[in-house]
Amino acid sequence: MALAMVGAVWAFPTAWVLFATFWHAGHFTVANLSETWAAAPFGRYALNTAVIVGGLFVVQAVFGAVAGFVLARYPFPGKGVVTALFLLQVVVPVYAVLIQEYRIVEGLHLLNTKVGIMLPYAVSGIAVLTYRQAFRAVPRELEEAARLDGYGTFGVFRHVYLPRALPATLAFAVVSVTYHWTDFLWPLMVTDSDSARPIAVGLAMLAQASEAGLQWRVLAAATAVVVVPVLALFAAFHRRILAALTTGLDW
Amino acid sequence: MQVTVGMGPRSRPAGESGLGWVRGRLLWVYAVLAVPLAWVLAFVAWPSFSTLWQSLWALDAVGRPTGFAGLGNFRALFAQPLFSEVTLNTVTYAVAATGLSVAAALGLAVVLARVRRDQVGARGLLIALFSPTVMPAIAAANLWLYFLAPRIGVVDWLLRALGSGGENWLGQPGSALAVLVALFVWKYAPYFTLFLLAGMQAIPPNLRDALRLDDPRGFSAWRRVLLPLLAPMLLFVTVLALLYAVETVDPVYVMTQGGPNNATDLVMYYLYQLGFEFFAWGPAAALSALLMTVLSTLSGLSLIVLERKAFHW
Repeated sequence: MALAMVGAVWAFPTAWVLFATFWHAGHFTVANLSETWAAAPFGRYALNTAVIVGGLFVVQAVFGAVAGFVLARYPFPGKGVVTALFLLQVVVPVYAVLIQEYRIVEGLHLLNTKVGIMLPYAVSGIAVLTYRQAFRAVPRELEEAARLDGYGTFGVFRHVYLPRALPATLAFAVVSVTYHWTDFLWPLMVTDSDSARPIAVGLAMLAQASEAGLQWRVLAAATAVVVVPVLALFAAFHRRILAALTTGLDW
Repeated sequence: MQVTVGMGPRSRPAGESGLGWVRGRLLWVYAVLAVPLAWVLAFVAWPSFSTLWQSLWALDAVGRPTGFAGLGNFRALFAQPLFSEVTLNTVTYAVAATGLSVAAALGLAVVLARVRRDQVGARGLLIALFSPTVMPAIAAANLWLYFLAPRIGVVDWLLRALGSGGENWLGQPGSALAVLVALFVWKYAPYFTLFLLAGMQAIPPNLRDALRLDDPRGFSAWRRVLLPLLAPMLLFVTVLALLYAVETVDPVYVMTQGGPNNATDLVMYYLYQLGFEFFAWGPAAALSALLMTVLSTLSGLSLIVLERKAFHW
């Protein structure tokens, strides 16, 4: 009973907006949705978001896996300093150095581009530490056996270590994707047209416009356009996503 | 805890002896690390340094340094008409949002710990609770904007049925800040619950069972035994909540733009205004330096707490 109450309270704001979007004059309708879809370039926003979020994940995972592998398995002078630098990336959030990041991206003439949005996030300390942890757990005997079979360092990395880091990769993917697709202030600062704008920024623009014009149905429907796909994805994979959100910090 | 360090000579890769091999390997290691490290230096270390350094320079309207200013930017920032108001708003908001969201997270953790996987409605409950976690803060702010809106929002509709209503919750200073706090609790408390649940799972089940036998109603056992065991996770979640609260900007941008009467102007939004609306880059640089110190301290603190808890670097 208490559970049902809690669930109802939490679901309420979302349910109300979905109801307002899909229910009009006593029956189900998608008219609000299609009207809103035409009011802003949602397809463009979605594509931009996919490129930014997907690209960032791939780049972060590649750097993370390579650096994590070296840190997990090879002693070398300066290892402490290198680890500390990756930790620094975790400790100093982009939001703490926002204006200087803006100056750098401006100096590189990358304002208003997807690359400009991605640049400050391209190496993730969390990815490095996650992979380091995952690779440390791989038994050394497996590596030795593979080397006896004639694999070089890259072969060992590719065939012994990487496959065993798949759960860590998936967990990191959830953390990275949830963070970057919801990110707002940084992409807002970098973009000033729809060409590179991700969906969170586009939605905020539309919300401000429709709020000013008191077009509440547009606001509700635009929010529904963003929220419905996430809800569907989350409903399908909720256990894995929830598990990943905490294990993503297990390094 | 896993034992992961190499154990004895057998665990080293074959042929590690030989100076040439070692040198070759070192070269390879540094070559692999060069790109990510150069990136960290360029996009983390350098901006951190220049955030502090630039706060000491006078800046023109496009942000170019024009001369050394010492602490002039900080004096100009403190003299800004909004500064003390923004500080007060941010502290009030951060303390209320942190306290309430951690308390709510603890309550939710206690409730969720009893839910079984196969229970009827468990799936629905999880989706209801965690959909705010996975949606952008902008979308969450829109949902709240819509359901609080005067005349069409359901809150107003309910209040009118009770005989009052017509209230613009975002139109009055006190209630507007309270709405932002409530939104924060709604969005983040379930997320924090995940960490508390993970902390509770670390408590051995036989200890829990023993306590349940000793003290069936569980209250004092909860308070005296389980709460201390959960304390590190609670501390982590508290620091995380503070960090998120200080970083809050999305709902301000969508719902209030800092108003009414600057009552919801929070520090991150103020920084954005100083730079991109007022072009006061000097005070903005000073505020950046202060914010960087606070945010980095908080996020460093959360890592230290996290590490002490059992995770290992």
